[in-house]
Amino acid sequence: MRPQTDAFRGSLDLLVLKTLSLEPMHGWGISQRVQQLSNGVLDINQGSLYPALQRLEKSGLVSSDWGTTDNNRRARYYHLTAAGRRALKDERESWKRFVAGLDAVLGSA
Amino acid sequence: MSRLAAARARLRLLFSRRAANARADEEIDFHLAMEAERLMREEGLSPDEAGRRARVAFGGVTQHREALREGIGFGWLGGFALDMKVGFRMLRKYPGLTIIGSLAMGFAIWVGAVTFQVLSLIVFPSLPLPDGERIVQVGNWDLESQGVDGRALHEFLDWRGRLSTITDLGAYRDVTRNLITADGDARGVSVAEITASAFRIAPTPPLLGRTIIAADELPGAQPVAVLGHDIWRARFAGDAGVIGRSVRMGDEVATIVGVMPDGFAFPVAHESWMAFRPDRHEQVPRGGPAISIFGRLAPGATFESAQAELTTLGRRTAAAYPATHEHLQPRVVPYAKGFASISGSDLGFLTVIYAFVVMLLVLVCSNVALLLFARAATRESELAVRSALGASRGRIVMQLFAEALLLGAIAAVVGLATADYALRTWAVRFLEVNQGPMPFWYDIGLSPTTIAYALLLTLLGAAIAGVLPALRITRGLGARLKQGSAGSGLRFGGVWTAVIVAQVAVTVAFPTVLLVERRMIASAADDDVGFRAGEYLAARLDSDSLDVRYGAALEELRRRLEVEPGVRGVSFVNALPRMDHPGEYVELDDAAGAAGQGMGGVPATPSVVRTALIDPSYFDVLQSPVVAGRGFTAAETASGARVVVVDQAFVDSVLLGRSAVGRRVRFIDPRQTDPAHAAMQPWHEIVGVAREMGMRSITDTRRRRVPGVYLPADLADAPPMHVVIHASGDPLALAPRLHALAAAVDPLLRVSGVQRVDQVADAMLWIARMWLRLSLLLTGIAVLLSLAGIYAVLSFTVARRTREIGVRVALGASRRRLVFAIFRRPLTHVLLGVAVGAGLIVLGAIAAANGDGGMARVEGGFSVLNVALLLAYMVVMLAVCLLACIVPTQRALGVEPTEALRAE
Repeated sequence: MRPQTDAFRGSLDLLVLKTLSLEPMHGWGISQRVQQLSNGVLDINQGSLYPALQRLEKSGLVSSDWGTTDNNRRARYYHLTAAGRRALKDERESWKRFVAGLDAVLGSA
Repeated sequence: MSRLAAARARLRLLFSRRAANARADEEIDFHLAMEAERLMREEGLSPDEAGRRARVAFGGVTQHREALREGIGFGWLGGFALDMKVGFRMLRKYPGLTIIGSLAMGFAIWVGAVTFQVLSLIVFPSLPLPDGERIVQVGNWDLESQGVDGRALHEFLDWRGRLSTITDLGAYRDVTRNLITADGDARGVSVAEITASAFRIAPTPPLLGRTIIAADELPGAQPVAVLGHDIWRARFAGDAGVIGRSVRMGDEVATIVGVMPDGFAFPVAHESWMAFRPDRHEQVPRGGPAISIFGRLAPGATFESAQAELTTLGRRTAAAYPATHEHLQPRVVPYAKGFASISGSDLGFLTVIYAFVVMLLVLVCSNVALLLFARAATRESELAVRSALGASRGRIVMQLFAEALLLGAIAAVVGLATADYALRTWAVRFLEVNQGPMPFWYDIGLSPTTIAYALLLTLLGAAIAGVLPALRITRGLGARLKQGSAGSGLRFGGVWTAVIVAQVAVTVAFPTVLLVERRMIASAADDDVGFRAGEYLAARLDSDSLDVRYGAALEELRRRLEVEPGVRGVSFVNALPRMDHPGEYVELDDAAGAAGQGMGGVPATPSVVRTALIDPSYFDVLQSPVVAGRGFTAAETASGARVVVVDQAFVDSVLLGRSAVGRRVRFIDPRQTDPAHAAMQPWHEIVGVAREMGMRSITDTRRRRVPGVYLPADLADAPPMHVVIHASGDPLALAPRLHALAAAVDPLLRVSGVQRVDQVADAMLWIARMWLRLSLLLTGIAVLLSLAGIYAVLSFTVARRTREIGVRVALGASRRRLVFAIFRRPLTHVLLGVAVGAGLIVLGAIAAANGDGGMARVEGGFSVLNVALLLAYMVVMLAVCLLACIVPTQRALGVEPTEALRAE
């Protein structure tokens, strides 16, 4: 898997994957959902979502197609690939380990 | 699965950069619109304010757009495009380098493309016929003679009924016939006596009338002829009413039944077609005329299955006729390959040619590499800065490669365009002079394969010229960067020294080759044949029957020609002056002649002489009477008397100046070791001495004088002769009468190669001059490139020492000493190169002077003028090298020491 050099980038990818695991969605929808899911705590710079989506698509974790929104706008819809689902599971594990490790460090202090 | 998806995503992005950009723009616009709508809806903002807030929430829109573009995956290509742009600027900035570099590489590509095209025509011929790759040639391979035995009529008739793996089996016989039109004009045309199946193999519909049909092959069928387009236009003025007309083909009258369209020349390069009539020939095993058999692989059959069936049939024939067929094996080969059989040794030869071409390219490109290296060295600080700004080594190498590639691209365009032109204008003529008419499948223009090959060569060239210097210059760039003085660490190593020395040597030695070539051509062109050749018309006379009928026809032709106005005399000879004459070995009758006079030094080994069979009137008609003794008499010709006339060269080189008349010679075969063999050969008495009259052929460059022996020709028992007509006016004006008279005398008598006697060598001279022009071009480019390379490298090495010179001047070094110090190394290189070059010339001269074993011998070595020319040329070379040093030295000496130091 990709090296976890950047915690934020890693977490953003994780959030996107998690969001898309519910249903295919367009970029703006993803940003709204991420905000909702994190109760506004993770108020990400909306624009940085797109390079992340491009990165995920290039590594084959998501794929995209043109679709139409409820109010008849053309939009790019992203959905998880099988590899994406596997990656989500893996990353969730490693995230949990990371958080647990962090907890242990913080708890012992 | 994920890899596949990833690859797909990458590919999609890669191949639709524009679409991907548009998509990114659309997604961002969509996002901003949605966000603005939300803000208006949820927070009741005005559209303007909502739009502003949406952009703020998004973050730097332009920045993200850029990030997306970067991510599309064309970053490297964008960089490459930039490299190309920079490369193009560099080419414009250094026009000299651009011109010389592209000229040199273009020339190498030209040579590569032309050789590849010509060789691929021979090695990989392809037939422009439907199903061309399934059309085959079948023949009897003779294991004893290692060749195809053409006398296969017996088998053809057998196979035609039996073979199941080959359909449309046909045969043709190659003949030349006199086509005599109603006005009496007679010209030989190449006729294929061919079976009707040929027009199923090559199913081109006739332009007029019909083709040969099966009924024409039957015994008793009326003779018919189908004309080719060229003949129809030239001999019948393109008359559409020609169908149904009778025409004389040799001693047969045929009805013209069809005209084929332009370009049709099946089976090889034929001009007209008649029916093949098996009933007219002997059909015994291994009898009858030489024929060629062709066909098409039956549906489902392969070469292997066809060969298997033929082998079975061949075994059966061999069992039935062991006397004739023991060593014969039927073989099937692809049609076009049957004409250009490539043996193992030929392939070796072709490999050598390829190796030569690639070597030429490597040589030329290393030269260009030298130039690029010298220039790249002057850009070292630029490269260092790029490296400091984070450019990887690969990135910098890529940039230099792009520049070389651009140079190569210009070179490829120039090289391919001129190659196409050269092939179309010269190659056809060149090949036809050497090989006769081209088979119809020889398409001489550049093929796509050749173009692909040339582009590959270009890439290879660009790699040599661009990547090599780039690797060299980027090595240790970081370390030099640390020292803070780019430019001082770069040196020309031993390899470059060797390159420079070799370069100078080759440049010095090369023009000598030209000098030699020029001399050969001049000596070939100006050879005096001893009579006024321009006043004579000559033509070759062929016939299907070289016997009494031929002799009678020649005598009758002479009688009729002699009464023609404008004809002063007529004679016959088997080889015209300057043509190749048959060579023989002769032995002198010294026991009877010279021994009594005690002559020492008479050559004991047999002498090589050229021979000619002449009509007794030859010397008279050529107005070149014998200088001693007498010529032949008509009685001697008829009785087959053993008399010869020798020429002055024979007297000088074989008899060493002794009197010839009355002496005897005999012709021997030096391969016969049995002494009895020579003793059995009859003696011929020398009755006269003639002047030297072109016994030396145009291709005979080894000797200036060739001893000749004339023998009397019995026209009724002679090989095909040439008629020589002395004209009082323009000889060529007699040509139409010659054609008409020959046809009237005997319809089988074919006249060809009508020309003035002084034109005999023209075709060969044309080729020789072409080669000279080609070598001139090659030399010009080599010299130009060498001089440019030497200049660039020398001026670079001097310029590199600007700082050192500055320091020395500041320390008070004398100018003389400085100049000496600067010039020492480059001058050593150049002098070494000139010395090696001069050594090469001397070696070449020695080899040429002693050249017996197949090597062209240059008579007389080098004249004073030639030596002077070469010396002058070397002085010019030295001057150019000095100039290359002087300009940067002066620049270095001219600047103030402080400035020189600061410049670094």
